[in-house]
Amino acid sequence: MRDKFSLDGKRALVIGASNAIGRAIAVALAEAGADVAVATTTPLKDEETAANSCANEIWALDRKGFAQAIEAADEADVNALIERTVAELGGIELLVNAHDLPFAKPAPETDFAEWRRVIDVNLGGPFLACRAAGQRMLSDGHPGGSIINVASVLGERGLANGAAYCSAQAGVLNLTRALALEWARGGVRVNAIGAGWTEGMAMAGDDESRAKLERYLPYKRLARPDEIAGIAVYLASDVSAYLTGQVVWVEGGALSHV
Amino acid sequence: MSVLDKLKLNGKVAVVTGAGRGLGRAMALALAGAGADLVLTARTEAQLMETADLVRDGGGAALWISCDVTDSSSVNTMIESAISEYGHIDILVNNAGGATAGMGKTLTDIADDEWRVGLDTNLTGAMHCSRAAIPHILEAGGGKIINVTSGFGFRAARDNFIYTSAKAGLVNFTRALAMTYAPDIQANLIAPGLFPHGNAAMSEFWRNGKYTPMGRLGEDEELGPLVVLLASGLTSYMNGQAIVLDGGGLAGGHAPTGFAPLVPLPEDS
Ligand SMILES: NC(=O)c1ccc[n+]([C@@H]2O[C@H](COP(=O)([O-])OP(=O)(O)OC[C@H]3O[C@@H](n4cnc5c(N)ncnc54)[C@H](OP(=O)(O)O)[C@@H]3O)[C@@H](O)[C@H]2O)c1
Repeated sequence: MRDKFSLDGKRALVIGASNAIGRAIAVALAEAGADVAVATTTPLKDEETAANSCANEIWALDRKGFAQAIEAADEADVNALIERTVAELGGIELLVNAHDLPFAKPAPETDFAEWRRVIDVNLGGPFLACRAAGQRMLSDGHPGGSIINVASVLGERGLANGAAYCSAQAGVLNLTRALALEWARGGVRVNAIGAGWTEGMAMAGDDESRAKLERYLPYKRLARPDEIAGIAVYLASDVSAYLTGQVVWVEGGALSHV
Repeated sequence: MSVLDKLKLNGKVAVVTGAGRGLGRAMALALAGAGADLVLTARTEAQLMETADLVRDGGGAALWISCDVTDSSSVNTMIESAISEYGHIDILVNNAGGATAGMGKTLTDIADDEWRVGLDTNLTGAMHCSRAAIPHILEAGGGKIINVTSGFGFRAARDNFIYTSAKAGLVNFTRALAMTYAPDIQANLIAPGLFPHGNAAMSEFWRNGKYTPMGRLGEDEELGPLVVLLASGLTSYMNGQAIVLDGGGLAGGHAPTGFAPLVPLPEDS
C-alpha cells in the first residue's frame, strides 16, 4: 500500500509555504517522493526566509525544488511561477493552493478595498494558479494531474466579522467543484481540503481565543498541520484517481455538531 | 519517518462486514495488504471462504464468521468470536448493505417489511456492529469506524425511499459516533459512486459511466487505498466526515442535467 501512495516522479508546486498547513503539505509531498517547488505570498519581510527554509527541508529529503515569493493575486507573477516550476522540475502534475490572507472585521467597518483584497488573494489567487497549472496539465494530455485547494471550515460555516473571509473560502469550495467538472475528462482532478482549526492558523487568533476554541472542539485541541497534510498525499496520489470535485474535511468533527 | 509509514496497519485487527464479495472484499484485501489481521463477515459462507483464501494467498491473516447484521444477537456472537480469536478489535468497517426488496417501489406500494428490512440492512446493521465493537475498540486504546454510505446518503432520487433514508441515517449516525467518541475513536464515511463489480448488466444500467463527469464507472480496487487511508494514522484528525469517491458525480450530478455544461463536453461536440 505504501508503494501505491508513492508520489515518485511527480512534480508539485505548493503556494503558501509560509503558513503551517502549506509547509506541512509541501514537506509531506516531498517525503512521499515528489519534487516540490514552494512559493510564499505573505507580504512580510521574512517571506523569502520562510520559503527558503521550507525548500531546505525539501532538499534535505533529496528532492528537487525551489523557493519563490509571489503576489498571489497577480496574473503575471502566478503565470511566471508555473512556468518556472515546469522549467526547473521538468513539468507539473500537482498544485496545492494553501496561501491564506487572514481577515476579520465587522462588516460596517470593512472598506470595499479590503473586501476586494481578501477576495482577490483568497479566491482569485487559487483561480489564477488553477488556470495556469490546469492549462499546462490539460495540454500535457496525460492523466495524473491533481489540484488541491486548501479551504477552511469558514467556507461552510459563517463567522461574525468574517463576511469577506468566509465568502472567499466558500468561493474556493465551489471553484473546486466547477473546475473538477470541467476538467474531469481531461485527466486533471480538482479537490479541496476543508481544514479545521489548526495550529499556526492565523484565523485561530490569540492564546485566549484559542483556549476558548479548544473547549468546544470535539478533540479539545486544534489539528496539527501534519494531520491536514496526510489527506493531501492521498489526493495527490494516483490511488485517488476516481476522486474529483470533493471537499475532504479534516476538522476533528467540528462540523458534525449542531 | 516518511509520511507513508503511517499507512501501516500491522498489529491492528479489522472487522469488515459484507466482506464476501464486491466492495467489502476489495476493502478487506487492501486492509490485509496494509498489514491488518482481518475478521470477515457476511451471511454467505462460501463467499467468505473465498475472500479468506484471497487474504491468505496475499500473506495475510483472516478469520471468517458468518453473521446477519440485521440480527443483534448474531452480531454480538460474531464480535465475541473475533475477540476470542484475536484479543482486540481496532478497526470496524460497516460495509454490509445494498439494495433490498422493494427498493425502487413508489411510496404507496412499499410494504412494512420491505421498509424494515431495508433500514435494518443499511442502517441498523451498522448500529448493531458499532454497539458491539466499540467497547472493545476503546479497550484497545481507540481506533476507527468506517461506514459505507452512498451518494444516496446525501441526495435522493424519485422512488428511492428505502435505501436513501437508510444511507442518510447512516451519515448522521456516523456524526453522532464522531461527536461521542472523539478523540479515541474516529468515525468516518466512504461514499462510493457507481461500482458495477465487472457486472455487464449493471454497467449498462449506469450507461457505462457516460453521465458521470469522469466518463467512467468505479473499479472495486479503487476503494482499497481509501479504506486504508481512513483506517490509518494519516487521518488522525478526520472525524464525522465522508470521502466521496465517485468520479465527480456529487460535484455536479450523475444525471445528464446534473452537470449540464454551458459549453459542450468534448464527447458531445
Ligand atoms: N456498488 C456500488 O456501486 C455502491 C455504491 C454506493 C454504495 N454502495 C454500498 O457499498 C456497500 C457494498 O456494496 P456492494 O456493491 O459491494 O454490494 P454486494 O456486492 O451486494 O455485497 C454486499 C455484501 O454485504 C453482505 N450483506 C448484505 N446483507 C447482509 C446482512 N444482512 N448481514 C450480513 N452481511 C450482509 C453481502 O453478503 P451476504 O448477502 O452473503 O450476506 C455481501 O458480502 C453497501 O453498503 C452498498 O450499499 C455500493
